[in-house]
Amino acid sequence: MGKSEESAVPIIRLKDVTIGYDSGNPLVNIPEMEVLPGEIVAIAGPSGIGKTTLLRTIAGLVSPISGTIEVCGGACPERGELGYVPQKLGLVRHASVMHNVMIGAKAGHSSPWSLLPSNPAKKKAMEAISSMGLMDKVGEPVRRLSGGQQRRVATARTLAQSPKLIMADEFLSELDEETMQMVLGSVTDYVRASGAALLVVEHDISRAKSMADRLLVIDDGRINPFITEITAMEVKV
Amino acid sequence: MRTAINGSRMAAAASMTILLSLLILDGMVSDWGRLSGGMDNLVVFFHQSLWPPDWSVLEPQVYPVCTARAPFEFTCSTAWIGVIETIKIAFVATVFGMVLSLPLSLSAARNLSPKWLSYSSRFVISGFRSLPSLIWAIFFVILIGLGPLAGVLAMTVYTVGYLGKLQYESIEGLNKNPLEAAEAMGLSKMETALSVVIPESANDLISHAIFMFEYNFRSGTIIGIVGAGGIGYYIDLYLRFLQYDKVVAYLIIIFAVVLLIDFVSIYARSFFNDEDDLRRPSWIDVFIPEGLKSGK
Repeated sequence: MGKSEESAVPIIRLKDVTIGYDSGNPLVNIPEMEVLPGEIVAIAGPSGIGKTTLLRTIAGLVSPISGTIEVCGGACPERGELGYVPQKLGLVRHASVMHNVMIGAKAGHSSPWSLLPSNPAKKKAMEAISSMGLMDKVGEPVRRLSGGQQRRVATARTLAQSPKLIMADEFLSELDEETMQMVLGSVTDYVRASGAALLVVEHDISRAKSMADRLLVIDDGRINPFITEITAMEVKV
Repeated sequence: MRTAINGSRMAAAASMTILLSLLILDGMVSDWGRLSGGMDNLVVFFHQSLWPPDWSVLEPQVYPVCTARAPFEFTCSTAWIGVIETIKIAFVATVFGMVLSLPLSLSAARNLSPKWLSYSSRFVISGFRSLPSLIWAIFFVILIGLGPLAGVLAMTVYTVGYLGKLQYESIEGLNKNPLEAAEAMGLSKMETALSVVIPESANDLISHAIFMFEYNFRSGTIIGIVGAGGIGYYIDLYLRFLQYDKVVAYLIIIFAVVLLIDFVSIYARSFFNDEDDLRRPSWIDVFIPEGLKSGK
């Protein structure tokens, strides 16, 4: 398969997917949705409408009520290809920053011996920590860091994984403007350079517009298929 | 439907429970006069046989010949030998029990393992815990003969049962977010256990192990009675010869050592809490309760 053909395969494709925790009470219906390599797609919508549930469903943590979710056209290996920065971070609070980021680096390593610390994994972890401006916190237990610093650790963990898709849930909240630009710059650089994709849930519409190539708005339980091109359409939420 | 706890209902239920237990006790006791007679016997027994304690238990044994120099001759005494042996049994059993119980508790935790594995692991853990260490000691003495090895095995089995339960309950109480993050990354169960579960619950696991050592020392003083080593062997010996004043001396020594281990255990466990060094007490805090220091 040539490079151009490969890049045409969507990293994720959702078809007639209904999500929610209870089949009697579905949250969102997605007739069709695709995220292409190198794309940055933001999902916006009112609080509690199902944005986080959509990411959790794509991450495989919640089963869809109906429909199909295809990752890399079925070609992605299961392990480590999907990176997820949860809203609640999911860090090992008692362990160091390095330990947490190494979990991501090991997950991105397909070797069955990935439990053993390897030099390439360590190098990846250090690069990710450095890109998040946390080099002075490498050995610090995560529980002693501020909320914003913890969010950067979770982002570094995902970058160290070198995933094909990064799903980030409000990953820029609790950050000051300067740090936010640094974090966003590092993630965007990774996405552009590696041909991965970024699917981000963002409640701040102006921020979502500024970072994304496309904006998907969840409105009345349905991803509005008409409001996708932010350059062409005025988004009203 | 559940209702909020009502103070007067709680008081009524507590009173009823106490009344019920008094009625049951009354049904079991045929002659209350024996209780006052028992107290008289205790006073006579205490003055004639128990007090003062016979501290010769701290003197070196006649055989084997003591090679320790002054003032360390007490290390050749039965009390010292018994206490040290009990500490050794408790330590080895705690370490072995911890090593064996950890994989079992990871299998038993419902947030990590499928139901069939969780329930079968719980069955094994409950089985080990269902018999007290004294009964396990009798079993191992019959199986491999008298001596500290039977004590080590007995307490290891009981430790697996007791510690296993504490551990899997602690693992099940873990926040689900790190587990979900690991699942989303595609980590295997083994990787999740080693990279997420054990580091996240390490404080609890270490704290439980220290508590278990303290517990094992206390039960280690009993298992010697059935020939499984430790200080209990000497207590049993002197009970048979009706030398109760020596038994009292052993009991006082055990009390002192248990108290010391308790304090060391409280201090050591204080290192393994959420705020670690921020809440580490000084030695004086361990020995004197906060209320006494502040005069409240």
